[in-house]
Amino acid sequence: MPRFFSNKRLILLLVSIIVLVALISFSLKDRQHASLPEQLVKDVVGFGQSLFSKPAHYITNVIGNIDGVLNTYEENKQLKARLSEYAATQAEVIDLRSENERLLNIVKKEDDLRAYDSVQATVISRNPDQWEQKLIIDRGEVHGIEKNMAVITSNGLIGKVVLVTPLTSTVELLTTENRNFRVAAVVAGTKVFGLIEGYDHERSELIMKRIDSRLDVKEGQKVISSGLGGIFPKGLLIGEITEVSTDDYGLTKLAYIRPAADFSMLDHVIVTRRNVTTDPNGTDAGISDKDTKGEDGS
Amino acid sequence: MIRFVVPLIAVLLFFLEPVFSLFSPIELGDIRYTLVPRFVMIYLIFITAYYSRERAIVYGIILGLLYDMFHIDIIGLYAFLYPLICFIASLIIREVHRHIVTVMFLSLSMIILLELFSFFFASLIALTSIHLDEFIVTRLVPTMVANSIFIIMFGWLFKNVIYKRVLLKRGDIL
Repeated sequence: MPRFFSNKRLILLLVSIIVLVALISFSLKDRQHASLPEQLVKDVVGFGQSLFSKPAHYITNVIGNIDGVLNTYEENKQLKARLSEYAATQAEVIDLRSENERLLNIVKKEDDLRAYDSVQATVISRNPDQWEQKLIIDRGEVHGIEKNMAVITSNGLIGKVVLVTPLTSTVELLTTENRNFRVAAVVAGTKVFGLIEGYDHERSELIMKRIDSRLDVKEGQKVISSGLGGIFPKGLLIGEITEVSTDDYGLTKLAYIRPAADFSMLDHVIVTRRNVTTDPNGTDAGISDKDTKGEDGS
Repeated sequence: MIRFVVPLIAVLLFFLEPVFSLFSPIELGDIRYTLVPRFVMIYLIFITAYYSRERAIVYGIILGLLYDMFHIDIIGLYAFLYPLICFIASLIIREVHRHIVTVMFLSLSMIILLELFSFFFASLIALTSIHLDEFIVTRLVPTMVANSIFIIMFGWLFKNVIYKRVLLKRGDIL
């Protein structure tokens, strides 16, 4: 058995462990902002990464298309069945929209929580060691992206921007275990407000907490972002309620929500910037300030 | 020409890892399985076994640092783990015959070690709340399966490329 550690090596190992601990504690302290060298690395690596990811998306799209063609007949039948229904809904939506516009004009209300500008982005990487649910997209500060903006796909809300560099940004998904990740939500068409807080891995469902227990919540209702968190626009679809129960203390209700968006195989996402002024300290920001988090009991 | 192929493959694998992680997690039945591509680690162990430990450690530090800065925003984690695993691998490879199959098994077992380290670190700083048994079922085993497919497909190629480089270097010296 050879001696594993000569003195020199032992010292080297100890020094490197000390450097490691120092570096980790330094970077853990402030993960929300990227320092200048970090930004530089992120932009350069991000550029290289997009050279690899975009062809990969193209290939998966082609495979998806072939898959789609194979299912065309079945889908066509189903879609035809729903077409007549769709036309009627479409007419109704146009009618309601124009009426809404007219009414808004009458009351001279210009700001609308629902209105937002969108930035299309391509996902260039998903955190390869998947302890954290994070994506990196190929749009950054120069494209007008800011921290805490909501990120959606065509199906619904998937997460928010947590870190921005000039050319890339990092998106944290709703399926995160980060307890500071909150989204102000409302059950569509009612006044049932709550917060999306946490994700149940066993059920693969989101948890909506702090719903007033006097209010009636039913399974099958749709949940959307309320826009009252200060940052997200109103009306982004989050998911559908699958189960309602009470929280640990029996004071408020708690609902399990099946997310509308699919969190695997994300390739194109949309970053939303709402038109109404945003409040950087709102609930959606999820600021980890322990003092202001009095209501967070558990 | 072959001089640049060895680092070039390392960079290539570095960029391919996140592309493959786009496919993960996959859902089979009701359980979500997480596949973690560890291509760079496998390649570094092949370099350790067939080329030189020092070189593997240097590549490990550089790629680990980039990995930390770009993906996980905790600087120093993989920049430390990659060289450490290379070092442990070099201690083991000294004792055994460098047959391709042994090196393949070695890289597989080193990935288990890397996954365990990263799991303990993630639980330490509360990035995850899963327990060890759940970690083994939903993450370690699928990761092993995915990476062993990768090793079987590319192990030969890596060995041959690195071997060519070694031969060339010997030729330079002679």
